[in-house]
Amino acid sequence: MNDLTIRIDGLRHTYESGVEAVAGVDLTIAPGERVAIVGQNGAGKTTLVRHLNGMVRPTEGAVHIGDWSTSDKSIAELSHRVGYVFQNPDEQIFARTVEGDVGFGPKNLGFEPEQITESVMTALEAVGLAHEAQVHPHHLSLSERKRVAIAAVLAMRTPIVVLDEPTTGQDEDGVRLIASIIDDLTARGTTVVAITHDMDFCVENFERVVVMARGTVRADGPTARVFADQPALEAAAVEPPQLARLARVLGWSEMAVDPSGFVDAYERRRRG
Amino acid sequence: MIELRDVAFAYEDAPAFTLAHLDLDVAAGTIMGIVGASGSGKTTLAKIIAGFIPSTEGGTYRGTASVAGAVLSEGTLTEAVDVVGLVTQNPFNQISGARFTVREELAFGLENRSVERSQMIERVDAVADTLGLTALLDRSPYALSGGQMQLVAIASMVVMAPPVLVLDEPTSQLDPAGTRLVYDVLARLSEGGTTVVIIEHKTELLHEHCDAISVLASGRIVSTGTPATVFADDRLSTWGVGQTRITQAAREARARGLLPVTALLPVGVSDGAAVFAENGAAR
Amino acid sequence: MTTLYLERASAVHRLNPVTKLVALLAIIAIVFAVPQWWIPLGIVVLVVVPAAVLARVGGRLLRLFLILLLPLLVVLFIVQGFFFPDGTTVLWQWGPARLTVEGLVFSLTIGSRLSALVLGSLVFVLTTHPARLMTALTQAGMSSKIAYVISASLQIIPAFQERARSILLAQQARGLEIAGGPLRRARALLPLIAPLVLGMITDVDERSTAMEARAFGATPRPTSLTVVDDPLSERIGRWLLAAAAAAVIVLVVVGVIA
Repeated sequence: MNDLTIRIDGLRHTYESGVEAVAGVDLTIAPGERVAIVGQNGAGKTTLVRHLNGMVRPTEGAVHIGDWSTSDKSIAELSHRVGYVFQNPDEQIFARTVEGDVGFGPKNLGFEPEQITESVMTALEAVGLAHEAQVHPHHLSLSERKRVAIAAVLAMRTPIVVLDEPTTGQDEDGVRLIASIIDDLTARGTTVVAITHDMDFCVENFERVVVMARGTVRADGPTARVFADQPALEAAAVEPPQLARLARVLGWSEMAVDPSGFVDAYERRRRG
Repeated sequence: MIELRDVAFAYEDAPAFTLAHLDLDVAAGTIMGIVGASGSGKTTLAKIIAGFIPSTEGGTYRGTASVAGAVLSEGTLTEAVDVVGLVTQNPFNQISGARFTVREELAFGLENRSVERSQMIERVDAVADTLGLTALLDRSPYALSGGQMQLVAIASMVVMAPPVLVLDEPTSQLDPAGTRLVYDVLARLSEGGTTVVIIEHKTELLHEHCDAISVLASGRIVSTGTPATVFADDRLSTWGVGQTRITQAAREARARGLLPVTALLPVGVSDGAAVFAENGAAR
Repeated sequence: MTTLYLERASAVHRLNPVTKLVALLAIIAIVFAVPQWWIPLGIVVLVVVPAAVLARVGGRLLRLFLILLLPLLVVLFIVQGFFFPDGTTVLWQWGPARLTVEGLVFSLTIGSRLSALVLGSLVFVLTTHPARLMTALTQAGMSSKIAYVISASLQIIPAFQERARSILLAQQARGLEIAGGPLRRARALLPLIAPLVLGMITDVDERSTAMEARAFGATPRPTSLTVVDDPLSERIGRWLLAAAAAAVIVLVVVGVIA
């Protein structure tokens, strides 16, 4: 387990254009926790998480990663603690080979040569692209490039990993792969913060959900409880996961996280 | 409306055919969803239906693809694009780069088709209204978020009102509200007679809106039918396509003897509610 | 920032861009045709500067003059004024530096021409939105493909910058330290150039598909959503400007102006 608590206090961020993307957020994320951040496009999710590695600085308030305030550390310094996977892999990938791109982070973080090779290969195996190590990233499909972008951050072995929309463009196997990567990260004690629009993915892989709307947090808590909070979800225009919607139509008060859980609840009801 | 007969295509220098022995029929005015794992050939199929393959791509092409009775490979690309509108995957690369506002961007295709100015203004305003872009009309297309760009890319093709519309993962960057908006627009277009082919990973939405689904696996169509039958097919995951959580739950309930084996597996919320309520879930 | 264009409500802004372009070309032709240094200077003082003031872009023009042109003019004056090889009429001498009348006249000639060219072009760019210029040029009969290339290259720069910025940000997020002055920043940017260009090339492929899907190039005579007014007075004005420039050149060639 890592020992870095993420602490966001009274955070506001206003862009030069005058848009206030984050309008007063307080949030504490414990070491090793996995938290999903959901909300409509434009709700301020990306601006919020970009504060975690200093790519965006607070206009007001503060963000702490353990004992560091992000306001007085460079992005590069913060990268020792926080890895960040961009939503669009093409904004991130730049090297001539997949291996070179994935090795960039470990190299900058001062890994030993053999450690670099080892972490790169492990990361590429985790995303199922070890056989493409020597390929030019532009020859891969968009969904493969997305996995290269994830590997590039895994290889850095940071105690905190931020994922912006990790499942976009992924097919069924891709989504499952990303879910297993998150499990591996948790097993290592890594804190995982992810933005996602995929509510099924969210409910099955995150124990805690933060719902955002208009730059503020509208709901925050255990996944099952948040997805039962209909008024908050409606206010944030967040559609609950499919099984939660079904349970609601059926008039159930509780919510099942996954198909098996749903069938268990169904069986209980049938028995009376 | 769309008829593909024994179509095969291999990219230049590629070791294998991306598509082979492919037959596909899409009836006029219907919405066809194409699903399949990454690398199954979906984008290539979209380009064939839109007439871009073989005309702009070197390689080996066989078979016939006809739209509205015309064989695409026998005509020019201009003739093809008048019939089939193609929305490609990356919204950033669909911005023309030649226009400075969203309004002009939306008009770009109409200008190229010499549509009269007054009509152009009317059509741009109308499409901006239906896709919720009115407030963005005077912005630079490059100043938009990924989701907004995606809506502009769809609008810039919808505005040209082609009889056939092909969309390659058009909602990948949209939130659920934006995604619903796109599907509502497609439903309205299809009611108006437009034929729509949509490539998409979101099973539940396809089930709700499509008239038919075709599954593509390793360059072949392995299943075609109504959404209810295709998405309830047990072989779906072997083709790399996800079943909805409701289908998964119903399958498990069936395996545990809680639902009759004869029941058709539900896919969405309304059919799911019907199946489970019928079998004693409602309270 | 895409261009230098400044949005203002002024008569200069409202002029048809083609008129402004013709005026600019006429000025350039005249100042390079005539040998007298005071004619370009006169054009700057009597035409270019008043136009900038009328268009309410005078402040920005002054700033650009100070940044772009003044250093150049100073260097020109020092090098040519003091070290002109063919200078015979010496006004003042100190070591190898000789201030000569010929050197002075030469630097004035070049300097005033350069000023008319640069300041005139700046006023044009400051008062003309590129989109409006493109529309006006296509309306005037320029091929839409050429118009596309020009507009796209204008817009590709900010798109390129945006991409470079996000990749640099992503590299910092993976531990690249760039806080170490401009040299370090440049070193960080250098390895970016090849992949950026390559990325742009892959984009071109995809973009051309998207353009063809929207029937680009399908007809030689596309219509246009935006229409730029082109009143008769401006069309006459353009011909007069062109005729004036031609007349000056003829007068120089036949030797009336020498």
